Amino acid sequence: MDVFIQTLVAGILIGGIYCLIGIGMSLIMGVMGIINLAHGQLMMVAMYITFVLSAYMHVDPYFSLIVAMPGLFLLGCFLQKYLLNPLMKKESILPENQVLMTVGMGMVLAEICRFIFTSDYKTVKTSYGGQAFFIGNISFNLPMCIAFIFAIVITVVLFWFLAKTDTGRSIRATAQDKEAATLMGVNSTRITIITFGLGSALVASAGSLLIPIFYLFPDIGGPFTLKAFVICILGGLGSTVGAIFGGLTLGIAESLGATYIGMGYKDMVGFLIFVIVLVFLPGGLVGLKRLIKS
Amino acid sequence: MKKVKILIGLVLAVAVIFSLWPSFSMAADTVEVGIVLPLTGPQAKFGEVEKLSFDLALEEINTAGGINGKTLELLIEDDTGRPDVGRSVVEKLITKDKVVMLGGGYSSSVTYAVAGVCQQNAMPFLVNTGSADKITGSGWDWIFRLNPPVSHYADAVKTLLAEKVKPKTVAILYENSLFGTKGAKSFQKICDNAAYKVLLKQGYEHGGIDYKPVLTQIKRLNPDIVYMVSYIMDASLLMKQARELKLTPKMFVGGAAGFTLPEFVDNAGKASDKVISATLWHQVLPFPGAMDYYNKFVAKHKRPTEYHGAEAYAACYVIADILKRAKSYKNTDIKKALSKTDMMTVFGPVKFTTWGKLKNQNIAGTYVVQWLDGKLELVWPTKHATKKFNYPVNWLKVWGY
Repeated sequence: MDVFIQTLVAGILIGGIYCLIGIGMSLIMGVMGIINLAHGQLMMVAMYITFVLSAYMHVDPYFSLIVAMPGLFLLGCFLQKYLLNPLMKKESILPENQVLMTVGMGMVLAEICRFIFTSDYKTVKTSYGGQAFFIGNISFNLPMCIAFIFAIVITVVLFWFLAKTDTGRSIRATAQDKEAATLMGVNSTRITIITFGLGSALVASAGSLLIPIFYLFPDIGGPFTLKAFVICILGGLGSTVGAIFGGLTLGIAESLGATYIGMGYKDMVGFLIFVIVLVFLPGGLVGLKRLIKS
Repeated sequence: MKKVKILIGLVLAVAVIFSLWPSFSMAADTVEVGIVLPLTGPQAKFGEVEKLSFDLALEEINTAGGINGKTLELLIEDDTGRPDVGRSVVEKLITKDKVVMLGGGYSSSVTYAVAGVCQQNAMPFLVNTGSADKITGSGWDWIFRLNPPVSHYADAVKTLLAEKVKPKTVAILYENSLFGTKGAKSFQKICDNAAYKVLLKQGYEHGGIDYKPVLTQIKRLNPDIVYMVSYIMDASLLMKQARELKLTPKMFVGGAAGFTLPEFVDNAGKASDKVISATLWHQVLPFPGAMDYYNKFVAKHKRPTEYHGAEAYAACYVIADILKRAKSYKNTDIKKALSKTDMMTVFGPVKFTTWGKLKNQNIAGTYVVQWLDGKLELVWPTKHATKKFNYPVNWLKVWGY
């Protein structure tokens, strides 16, 4: 029983971070209808910001959230305004121009970081990095728990922002129906810029929270982009609430897979669920909810 | 239009000149040897230790007169830890730089790929770290190896376990790479022969965040020994998370690689203490120059060195020795000189023979080291030991609980 609970705890804790990664991508997907394949790379940039602050200015990784999140917000806005939006006006053979652009952006970001930091592994050492506390026989890693709490706080703030503020409402309106929103006086170009910035800031927070637990190198982005994608599919494309379920589901599934099937098959379990969801439940968990209602 | 043509012509001319440049610069008074090492990427730390050691040896060789009056030059290329990149840099070394022979070779996967290219091109290759058995076990006659194969890495651990720990049950964790799978397989064989029960044998994909699920399972099985074959970051994370879970077997054993680098202590901190690992070298071994090399390295780079560095340092001296003895720098003459090698290095005696299925293989010893207060101490075999093997260990106390 202990093994099962410990596995579940590990899955839920990592799931919290997956949620943050997934929500950002989901938000962008909802508003712009494109998959941001540079998502993991944006997280990698945030991790390097955190690393630099910590290694050279001795800023605690959690405090560096204050720098990394706005920093990535601005980077996201910049990318959307000058690289993605101009593409919308261009005629092209492929309608998925913007998606292709995100792939390119991701590569450029990774190579810039490789150029500056080389591809060595970097770690940030904190006094609490390896600390754990015990409830019964179950071990809770302290930085993981802090990350989980941060993830909840950030998500709650995001939902408040989306529900109560004018900009938040405009984002939701654009996601629901872009044309109608534009007719109602929403500046949809501005909204796309803010959304991409917001998505980047969210994944930046995930990056900073991962730093005390994990290490970083320029190629860390790719696997996380994939994870974010899986989470979005699990939750239902473009649904932020769905992304939370998706993140937790993926975290728990990976953990259970690692314990009961084999550590080497951990990623396979995640992708297996991905394929199953795509085939049998294309709407994701949100689609399932609708299905039950009807 | 004419101007454009002239411009293109000029550019081409410059390009041709530059592409031929290395062969101009290869003046008669230098001998160029290609070295393949991972200088960036996941295995960069290992590559760095080896490169610094190669450089140290090179400096000494050249101040002592070089190769019969000629300067030895090492062209060190970065394989980034990826077999495909390894192949292409070696092809470049062979065809463009026209090196006389090759050295280096860190990870098994890369070394195996590189060795294949060398065999095809009849290029003598002295491997100093890549350890999968099939590198010298494929019947390739141009490949020579200084270090023992991975199937023998745990030889010293085997006797230590049999005499001191006497375990009944074992759990094996390994990275599912060439080095990891082969290391795990040969340890399983050792366990089977000694009738230790292997409760769990699991591979993992390197770069995981959370090893707790598998470690929890090991905790439930409660084996006497946890044997791990990992590179550096995974090794640290595994030990850190074992500490968090209070996983306490009788002994944690590392299968060399990630467990002997100073970065292991840096990253794993307290969780690294008292962990033992297989190793291939220690500075206190009674080989001439071993301690000297260690001291010189520490004095120059302000950090300790370990077996990977010693392999590289020794390899450089072996290369110099071969080139001194070779009749000419033709590949066949170098190969002949390689097979006649019989010398003493900081890594021990070097002589290439047939060892079981392995061809052109140097037979070297293995040892066991233990991390004691942040220092790597030789604990086995006892006749060379610097510190007594710390056993039994009260892990919870060591970890500060």
